[in-house]
This record gives sequence, C-alpha cells and structure tokens, in this order.
Amino acid sequence: MDNAKDLFGYDSLAFFGKVNASISHELKNVMAIISETAGLLGDLSDMASTGTPIEPDMLKSCTNSIIEEIQRGFLTIRQMNRFAHSTDSPAEAVNLMDVLDLTINLSGYLSFSGKVCLNPCKNVSPTVSTCPFLLQAIVYQAMVYAFKTTGPGAEITISLQARDDGGWRILFSGFSGSEFQVFPDVATSAMATSIGVAIRFDKTDDRLVLDVPLAIESTTNPSVAPGI
Amino acid sequence: MEAENTINILLVDDEVKFLAAVSDRLTIKGFSVTTATNGEAAIEAASKGGFDVAVVDLQMPGTDGAQVLKILKQKHEFIEIIMLTGHATVDSAVECTKLGAFKYLEKPYDFDKLIEVLKDAYHLRMQKKFENNAKRMAAIQKLSMGQSPLGILKALAKFDDGKK
Repeated sequence: MDNAKDLFGYDSLAFFGKVNASISHELKNVMAIISETAGLLGDLSDMASTGTPIEPDMLKSCTNSIIEEIQRGFLTIRQMNRFAHSTDSPAEAVNLMDVLDLTINLSGYLSFSGKVCLNPCKNVSPTVSTCPFLLQAIVYQAMVYAFKTTGPGAEITISLQARDDGGWRILFSGFSGSEFQVFPDVATSAMATSIGVAIRFDKTDDRLVLDVPLAIESTTNPSVAPGI
Repeated sequence: MEAENTINILLVDDEVKFLAAVSDRLTIKGFSVTTATNGEAAIEAASKGGFDVAVVDLQMPGTDGAQVLKILKQKHEFIEIIMLTGHATVDSAVECTKLGAFKYLEKPYDFDKLIEVLKDAYHLRMQKKFENNAKRMAAIQKLSMGQSPLGILKALAKFDDGKK
C-alpha cells in the first residue's frame, strides 16, 4: 500500500491531467452544440417574427438536440466525478466491472479512440481490494497505446476471468504485437508493480493479460505473472 | 447577400450536431455551406474547388485539423482557414499560425465573432486574388511586347508555375 501511495506522484498527476483535459474537451463540445443550437432557435424565432414560416419539426429537432446534449453533459460530469473520487483511497474494495466501465468511457473522450467492448461478467461480482486510480491508469494506458498504434479503427474486447487464487484476470483482445514494443512503458510498469498487477502478452491468442490480485497486501512477487 | 457575393464555406467537424447547427445558422445568414465530418472528406470536397473559407475543427479522428490545414494550404493557394478547437493550447495555436491559419477560435465561441472572422477571411482572400491578378496582368503586358501569341502563353505558364 505504501508503494501505491508513493506512485501518487508525477506520473499519476500526468494521467489525472490527461483525463481531465479530455473530459473538458468533451464538455466544451457539448457546450458548443448547445450554444449553436440555442442560437439557431433564436435565429428561427427572428425569422418567424418577420413572417417567415418555420417548420415545427425544425424547432422540435433543435430542442431534442439540446436535451440530448444536456444529458450527454450530465453523463460526462458523472464520469468525471467517479474518476475524481477514485483518488480518495490508495486501496479499497472495488468491482472490476465498474473500474473497466469507467476507464472505457474515459478513453472514449480521446480524439483517436476506437471501439471497446466489455464482456459482461454474469452471476458474479469481480471484487478486489486495490488502488482503483492506479488500476484505471494502467488500463487506460493500454487502450491509449492500442488506439495510437491501430488508429480509429481499433476494436478491443475486454473480458474478466476468475483465477484460482481469488484474483482476477483482465483479458484484452484486439491487440497486436506492435503495441508491446512500447507497452507497458516504465511509468505503467511501476504503477502495476506497486499494486501487484502483472502485465504480459499472450502471443498464442494475441491478448494482453493483466493479473489483478485479490488484495494488494496478498501480493508476494508482483513482477512475475502466473501462467494462464 | 447577393448570389455573386455569397461566401462559400467548407465546415469540417466530427461532431455531427455541431456541424448541422452551425451550417443552418450560417445558411440563414446568407453563406453557402458544405459540411464534412472528417479530414479525408474535407480534402476530397476541397479538391472540387469553389471554397473561399474553410472552418476546421482541430481535433478529429484520422486526419486531424492541423493536417487538413496543411494539405488545403498546399493545394489551394487562396483558401483561408479558420481553426476551431475545444482544447486550446499555446502550442497548437502557434502550430496552426505557422501552417497558415487565418484565425484560431476556441469553442464555444460567440457566433457573431465567427461571422466577423469569416468576412475578414473572405476579404483577405479577395485581396490576395486581386493582387495576384494585378501581378499577372503586369506580367502579360511585359511579356506581350514583341512576343508571338504562343510565346506569351508559354511565358504565362512559366509565371503561374513559378507561383506554386
């Protein structure tokens, strides 16, 4: 846990900053659409007041667009709030599906993001005691490298698998070997080690494998990943 | 706005709703607007010609706004380009200026400001075209003295090539 606390340093701050910048970009886009659509409603009102007939469907389309963008803004703010609170504690019980779901949504704000599909984990709650912030940073970085290497056409599938020791295995499909010439970088490796997450590439199935221990304290040798 | 004075705008953004709202508003104000949802489509649309000003979002998947700016400025000498961004940084503003952007606006912006900038960009484009035509006319006059018609055409082609 002390290692996790230590890792709340520059690299973590850089990750926090990067995510917040992408969220602010998303919110600015939302505001820009609301601003322009409200402006369009104003223009249409001006036209109507000078006798130009205005189609009711056009007004309805504008108001629907504003409502949808406000909902999009709320959703973005909710995610920003969840992300901000992930720094509350260096270790806590977290549902991995929640962590993955949030991280996927956050990576979706990147201009170069691709598609990510999270396979549901049926009839079981994949809970571990870990540092949610650092785990998010590791998953996020993995997706960033995949998107940057493959481009907007990238398609990643993420699934969870229970391990015999009570921990969980996060499997990323859709990666190629080229991502692993650059991932994990030094900072991501250090974050993974600090919370006992082992990162490796399964060449047989072309999958990125993250082994997450049941609890940070239970980690004995985090740098060695058990075999699949 | 008279038809012959209509300003032809190429509007490029990956946010479809933003594109639709701005396009409608500019059309109401008398501009002629063509939209593109990505960089590749923008370059393709511009290749058909006829645009006075392009308004390009900086951050787009695939060919981003800076690449679109660079390519359009290389291929279309007189097009003026206004960059839009939801994530303004000094670095990106400097880069866009170096690449020849007319203006750099941060979202959300004031619509009246966009109209003002579009008109300024159009006037600059017309001024550059006028100056180019004046130079060309001066070159024709100079070349036509003592030249055969074919010689004049060859010399003019050389003059135009030298500008690329």
